[in-house]
Amino acid sequence: MGIVQENRVEVKSMLTAVSSKPSRSGRVHPFTTLDNAMSRHTLHVIVYYPRSPFGSFDLDSVRISLSELLSMYPPVVGRVAKTPDGILEVKCNDAGLRTLKAKVCVGIDEWLRSADGHDESDLTAWEDMPEDPSTWAPFRLQINEFEGGGVAIGLSCPHRQADATTLTVLLKSWTEAQRRRCLVHPPSFSPLPSILTDDTDAVKPNSASISEPISTKTATATFRFSSSAFKKYVEEEGIFPKASPLDVFAALFWTRVALVKRKSHDRVCMCVDFRRLLPNPLPYGFFGNALNFSSLEMTNVADQGIVHVARLINDHVTNLTVEKIRSDLNRVGEQELMYGRDLTIVNMEHMIVEGDPMMYDAVFEDGVRPVHVSYRIGNVGGEGVIMVMPSPEKGFGRVVSVTLPEEEMSKLLVDQEILRFEPKIILSGVK
Amino acid sequence: MPQAPMPELTSSVKLKYVKLGYQYLVNHFLSFLLIPIMAIGAVELLRMGPEEILNVWNSLEFDLVQVLCTSFFVIFISTVYFMSKPRTIYLVDYSCYKPPVTCRVPFATFMEHSRLILKDKPKSVEFQMRILERSGLGEETSLPPAIHYIPPTPTMDAARSEAQLVIFTAMDDLFKKTGLKPKDVDILIVNCSLFSPTPSLSAMVINKYKLRSNIKSVNLSGMGCSAGLISVDLARDLLQVHPNSNAIIVSTEIITPNYYQGNERAMLLPNCLFRMGAAAILMSNRRSDRWRAKYKLSHLVRTHRGSDDKSFYCVYEQEDKEGHVGINLSKDLMAIAGEALKANITTIGPLVLPASEQLLFLLSLIGRKIFNPKLKPYIPDFKLAFEHFCIHAGGRAVIDELQKNLQLSGEHVEASRMTLHRFGNTSSSSLWYELSYIESKGRMRRGDRVWQIAFGSGFKCNSAVWKCNRTIKTPKDGPWSDCIDRYPVFIPEVVKL
Repeated sequence: MGIVQENRVEVKSMLTAVSSKPSRSGRVHPFTTLDNAMSRHTLHVIVYYPRSPFGSFDLDSVRISLSELLSMYPPVVGRVAKTPDGILEVKCNDAGLRTLKAKVCVGIDEWLRSADGHDESDLTAWEDMPEDPSTWAPFRLQINEFEGGGVAIGLSCPHRQADATTLTVLLKSWTEAQRRRCLVHPPSFSPLPSILTDDTDAVKPNSASISEPISTKTATATFRFSSSAFKKYVEEEGIFPKASPLDVFAALFWTRVALVKRKSHDRVCMCVDFRRLLPNPLPYGFFGNALNFSSLEMTNVADQGIVHVARLINDHVTNLTVEKIRSDLNRVGEQELMYGRDLTIVNMEHMIVEGDPMMYDAVFEDGVRPVHVSYRIGNVGGEGVIMVMPSPEKGFGRVVSVTLPEEEMSKLLVDQEILRFEPKIILSGVK
Repeated sequence: MPQAPMPELTSSVKLKYVKLGYQYLVNHFLSFLLIPIMAIGAVELLRMGPEEILNVWNSLEFDLVQVLCTSFFVIFISTVYFMSKPRTIYLVDYSCYKPPVTCRVPFATFMEHSRLILKDKPKSVEFQMRILERSGLGEETSLPPAIHYIPPTPTMDAARSEAQLVIFTAMDDLFKKTGLKPKDVDILIVNCSLFSPTPSLSAMVINKYKLRSNIKSVNLSGMGCSAGLISVDLARDLLQVHPNSNAIIVSTEIITPNYYQGNERAMLLPNCLFRMGAAAILMSNRRSDRWRAKYKLSHLVRTHRGSDDKSFYCVYEQEDKEGHVGINLSKDLMAIAGEALKANITTIGPLVLPASEQLLFLLSLIGRKIFNPKLKPYIPDFKLAFEHFCIHAGGRAVIDELQKNLQLSGEHVEASRMTLHRFGNTSSSSLWYELSYIESKGRMRRGDRVWQIAFGSGFKCNSAVWKCNRTIKTPKDGPWSDCIDRYPVFIPEVVKL
């Protein structure tokens, strides 16, 4: 770790992918208060396939299906503009999705074994928003071809404009369009339901303050836990019957990270997607941010057994009511950093629909499922982020991605409690 | 107030009937003469009675030799007539290339790329934006894949792949539509003005489709936007010489190598207007094709104004100060186009105008020459000669100018304006997109006459007149099939960008 390594990803070309049909002129996509609260962060999704669906690139049918899909997502191909009142919004002018093509000089397996968080960010394209965003593409796609076959598709956007579910549904819809299927989750651009927004203030003009960038050097590692690891834990420790893999793995990592941080570290921030938690659930295709950030406290968490912590997490998540979501939403304007101000645990259980993890169903060619899907959040605060994601194998396994300051991460990687579960550790930068 | 318009209305209605009456009289003059004569003859015959007719017949004293000689003479004259008549040239069918949706260029994308690439030249960017706003183009025109890159990558390979993409797709479609086998092609003419590799594009087509070794192939380059009609003229001449043959014409313009990379304003104009397109046309002189052919070629008139220096230099390819090659369009382009059109009309007028218009034109000419030089020249009404007009979609100004000069209505120039909006200026193939528009609207009936006018560098004005051979059903596929219902659209004077 910390070894300076030459860049293994080389960007070859850049173009703009357009939608296939012109959108209605003058259409505008506004931001909600929640969207604006996410302004400090960026969001990147990277999907790794063992075989690339791209051929010559310019004339591929995959490009045509992308264009057709982009016609259904006018905000993705639009440009950010400021209204005369200083409020940001998206002008749906069809300018297009910036698409970059890159080559990686190693094979996909070697990459997954030896790359770290910073390397992974080379697989996505990002540029901070300039003063005049009229020619700045908010959504960027990067197609990275590995040596010997395999491809990583990286999609980036400002977190203000979309959350992880939105980007996942977008990529999955692209694969459905390519295979000439109906979209399972067509996009929906309606605003947040009034039940959540009744008391919130009108959207305030975005403050011009750009705070100092986060200075702690962070490292990321991804732990893949199999279904048997969860079952083993349940047998050994006798967890309560309603425990979900999220509860167990989140509790595991919270306690071990608290130990590594050597604070009593009793507070975390739980990030839960509330699309399906509302009495009138929002469709998965809801475009924008639908995240609930709530605090969870426990004293001396490092000394607590995982069972207690898991139960606390379970109670917290099951008790998320509309009122709680609304009150959390009212408070978002006061914070600047949503991820990482406190240790943040991101819950992605909602992406498992009827037992199938949504992101691993994004299949271009039959039989070629993604081998791995990474989610990265940019400008994360110093306390770190733990993301509990679905595993490619259906069942109780989970993939946990952890972002922590470097020294804490190096201690976590050798933590015996975690290693007891025999996780496969990838993308940690360890040679 | 209601009283005042009434006299004008009645007087204009009266004038209309006078005009109509005059036209019928002059155009059918011979019939007006012949009918009374035939009537008188018939009355005479009836009056004479059968015996008298027989007596007249016997008194003529025909003998065998006279009868034989007369009939031999008649047969000889008719054989000479039929042999020396030029062959009828048919347009069997044609196919226009429809670009994939990935090649679409929305205004916002074009302007964004322009700003990113010309970031040090905001004035040039402003200029391009003003041109695009007033160009009459829509949001669905297409540029080849290489031009979508930032910066564009106009390599020779990219130009060749654009050529292969547009030409082969159009030709595959043509072969499918007409059922023609590649080995049955006798004549191949490919015209592409600005891209001329070795081996030629026609050789590329022969290689791809494995055409016969004794094919008569020609590759025309450098002849500008009117090269499409020049190819038709060449095909016509070749089909006169070779009996029982067919000819395929491929008209296209390859944009990739000619995208201007500099920032000289007059040379940035083509970047804003020229778009990707191609057409493949099958022509034939075979009698067996007369049932399925769509059109018959009536006339083709070529006018070249190159002898005049101003016309010669008005569309000029040159290097700018930084060494980038581009096409410089002079400010007098419209005036020169107008003059070229006048020259062309002077030749084509007598061939196509009905006798009534020609007489009026002659009288007005005599009047101007002899009596009063200040008399306004009479502009013949070409709407009487043609049902449809296809004006090369060179730009909004060209169409406006021609509409004014020829006094055409909005519906007559609709095909040209809508083609400019949907496909942009596709150079030599734009006439075929316009013809396809008229067919897709279901307006093409048997016997309709179409006038195709093309302008090109040099300065040339070429016209072709086609006569519709059979009423054409709205095509199910074709470049307009998915969008014809949205047309015609209203194109504002200036689009807000």
